[in-house]
Amino acid sequence: MNDRREKIVPSKYIPDVGAHTETIDGKPYLVANDTMYTFYRRTRGEFSAFFLALRDRKKLLGCKCSKCGLVRVPPFLTHCPDCDFAPTEQIEVEQIGIMNSTPPITYFATALFQHMAPYGRGRVIFRGADTAMSVNLYTTTGILVPGMIRKGTEVKLVFRDNRIGDVTDVFCVPTAELSQEQIGKEGLQESEINWEAPVEPQIPTASEQDEAVFRQTFDEITAIIDQMNSNDRARKDIADWKRNIQVKTRGGQFVIVIDDGNIEVEEMEPLTIDFVMVCADPRTLLDGLSYRGAITDSVISKKLWISKNAEFTTVFKLDRMARSVARARKVAE
Amino acid sequence: MSRRVGIVGAAVTPFKATWREKTYYELAQMATREAVQDALISIRDVDAAFYGIYNDIFERAAIPEHAIHGLCGMQNKFGTRISTGGATGAYTMSAAHAYLAAGRFKTALVLGVEKATDCFDFSSMSATPEVIKSIGWSGDSFFEQSIGWSASDSYAEVVLAYMDEHPGDLKPEITAQISSILSEYAKDNPVAQRQHDQVTPEEVINSRMVVYPFRELEICVYSEGAAALILAEEETALAISRNTGKPVVWITGVGEANEHSFAGKNQKNMARIMSDFYGSRRAYEMAGITDPTKSIEVVELHDAFVHQLEISMAEFGLVPLGRADSLVEDGLMTPGGKYVVNRCGGLIYCGHAVGASNIMSAWSARNLLIERGRGAALVHGTGSTVAQYTCCIILELQ
Repeated sequence: MNDRREKIVPSKYIPDVGAHTETIDGKPYLVANDTMYTFYRRTRGEFSAFFLALRDRKKLLGCKCSKCGLVRVPPFLTHCPDCDFAPTEQIEVEQIGIMNSTPPITYFATALFQHMAPYGRGRVIFRGADTAMSVNLYTTTGILVPGMIRKGTEVKLVFRDNRIGDVTDVFCVPTAELSQEQIGKEGLQESEINWEAPVEPQIPTASEQDEAVFRQTFDEITAIIDQMNSNDRARKDIADWKRNIQVKTRGGQFVIVIDDGNIEVEEMEPLTIDFVMVCADPRTLLDGLSYRGAITDSVISKKLWISKNAEFTTVFKLDRMARSVARARKVAE
Repeated sequence: MSRRVGIVGAAVTPFKATWREKTYYELAQMATREAVQDALISIRDVDAAFYGIYNDIFERAAIPEHAIHGLCGMQNKFGTRISTGGATGAYTMSAAHAYLAAGRFKTALVLGVEKATDCFDFSSMSATPEVIKSIGWSGDSFFEQSIGWSASDSYAEVVLAYMDEHPGDLKPEITAQISSILSEYAKDNPVAQRQHDQVTPEEVINSRMVVYPFRELEICVYSEGAAALILAEEETALAISRNTGKPVVWITGVGEANEHSFAGKNQKNMARIMSDFYGSRRAYEMAGITDPTKSIEVVELHDAFVHQLEISMAEFGLVPLGRADSLVEDGLMTPGGKYVVNRCGGLIYCGHAVGASNIMSAWSARNLLIERGRGAALVHGTGSTVAQYTCCIILELQ
C-alpha cells in the first residue's frame, strides 16, 4: 500500500530538452518539450492542527460551531458562515463513518495517479460529524470494483505507516473486511491489515476442446492484430510505447509485443516480460481486441487478470486500438 | 431600466483534438475575424472584449488573454477575462451581457479559446492523462487534489449520488442511446471534432470504463479551438441586423448559481445539481418564462457526461427528477421530439475546448433559432468541482 514519492516531481515525468517537427499538409510545425513548474513551501495555516493530528497522534479533528453546533470534518473554518461567523472550536471525532454516497472508481487516472489506479475516492461522514470528508477507498481483497462500497457502507479510517502531514496519510476500508479488534482500534495502521496479495490465477488443465478453441481463437487474435498493424490510427495509439505481454489461457500461451507503433503476436517467449495477462477463456481477450466489450471491463469483472495494476495504461491502449480498427471497419462498410 | 442585448454575430473555429498548425493567439484571432465578418462590422466598432479562458496551464501562461487583446484589434479598449471552470464560456456571455445591459458599452466581443492538448504526459506518451492532470489542479488543494480528484470522478460523485436516490434512472441503455443520438447530430456540424464518428448504442456500451460509472463514449472529448460572439445593445443590434439581414437573437434571461464545494449538512447535496436548478430558474424568471416545458424548444447544454446531461435536463425542469430517462423513453429528445438537445453534437461529439465550449453552444442555438424562425433556447454551462457552477442563458427570437 505504501507508494510514497521521494521527490516532489518523480524523474519519470520529466522529459529531456528537445523538439521535433510534425508535417501537416506539407508544412512543418515545430513542437517543443516544455513545462511550467513552481515549487512551494506552502503553509497549512489554520489546517495545521488537523494535519499534525493525523501525522503525529493518529487523531481525526473537526470543528464545531459555537452557535449551531454543526460539526465540520475536516475543520474547514474557524468561524461558521451559517451563523454570522460565530467562532468554531476544534473537536475530535470517531474514526468510523458511513459513505455519504456511492463513490466513483477511477480506472483511467491522471498522470499523477496512474500508479494508484484503480482507486476509489468518496466522502465519509465520520461519527460525530455533520459534513463529509473526501478520502481514498480501498478493499483488502484486491481490485476495487463497483458494488463493493456504496452509500451507507460503514468504513474505517486507516493510517499509513509513513505519514507526512497530508490527507494522503489516511484512507478508508469497509469495516466488513476487518476484525472487531481492528474496527475498535483508534489509529489503525495499514501494516496491521492483511492485504490480499495479487496471486496469479491458476488455469485448469486444458481439454482437447479447450486446445481447439485456443487454436481457433489464436488465429483470430493474430488476424485482428494484423489489422491493427495496418491501421494508422491504431498504430498511433501505441506510438512511443513498448511492452511485452505474456498471455496465459486454458488452451495455450502467447506473447503480445508492442513496439512503438507495431504490435505482433508471438508464440515464443521473449527475454523480458513486462506483465502477465491471464484469462481462462482466450475468447475474452479476442472479444476485447475485436471491440465486443472492453478489455478494461474484463479486468474489472475479473474475467481477465493482469499482474500489475499500473499496466491499465497498456490495457487502455489496447482498447483504444480495438476502437480504431472498429471505426475503420465501419467507414469501409 | 436595463437595455436589451442580443447576438448579432458569431463564429467558431473547427474544434480539433489538436491544432499543431496554430497557437491560441491565432485561434482567438481566427474566431474574432469571422465573428465581426458575420456581423458585417469592423473590429474598430467593438467597444469591449470579454475573454473566456478556463485554464492558465493549458495556455501555458498566467493572464493568457493579455497577448490576444491587441492581436484581436482591441488595444486601448476594455478587456477582462472570466474563468469559471467548465462554465467559463457561459459566464463570459453573462458578464458581457451585464455591461451592455447597464449601458457601459454598445458592442462587445465575447471570445472563448482553449489550447488543451499541448499538455503531454511523457510517462504514458499520450496527451490525455496530462490534460486531466492539469484540470486536476482545479480541485481543492488541501484535502482533495492529492488523493486523485479529477473532473470525471468529481462529476461521477454527483451522478452516483443521484443514482443512489433514483436507482431506476440513468439506465445504461438510455445513456448509450443519448450518446448515439448526439453522434448522429454531429454529422451536420462542420466544426465538430467527431463529425465523422457516429456510434451505435452497442458501441457505447462496449466502450471501456474510464471512471465508474462513465464509459469512454459517454464523456466529452478535450478539444482545441475558439468561439466568438458579437453582442450589442438594442439600438446597435437592430442597426447591425438591418445591415446583415439576420435577425437579432436576444438574450432575454441570464441566471447563475455556485454551490458549496464540500458535501454534507448545510453544504452540497451531492444527489442534486442545485446550481443548475437555481441558475435555470433565475434565467426563466428574467425571461418571463413560467413553464419551461412550454417555452423552451432548443437546449444547448454542457454535456460533460451523458449522465450529467440527463440530470441537468431534470434540474432545468424539462423532465421530472428521477425520470430523466423519459428524455428517450418518451421520445422527448430523440430526433423529432419535443426538445432539440445539443444539435451540434454537444461537447461529447463537437468537442470541449473549455473556455470556448458554451460559446460554441450559443452559436449553435443561435443558428437553430434563426433556421426555425421562432422559439426560445436554453444555453448552459456547468463547471468546477461536483458540478458546482452553473450559468444559464435564454436566447429568443422576438
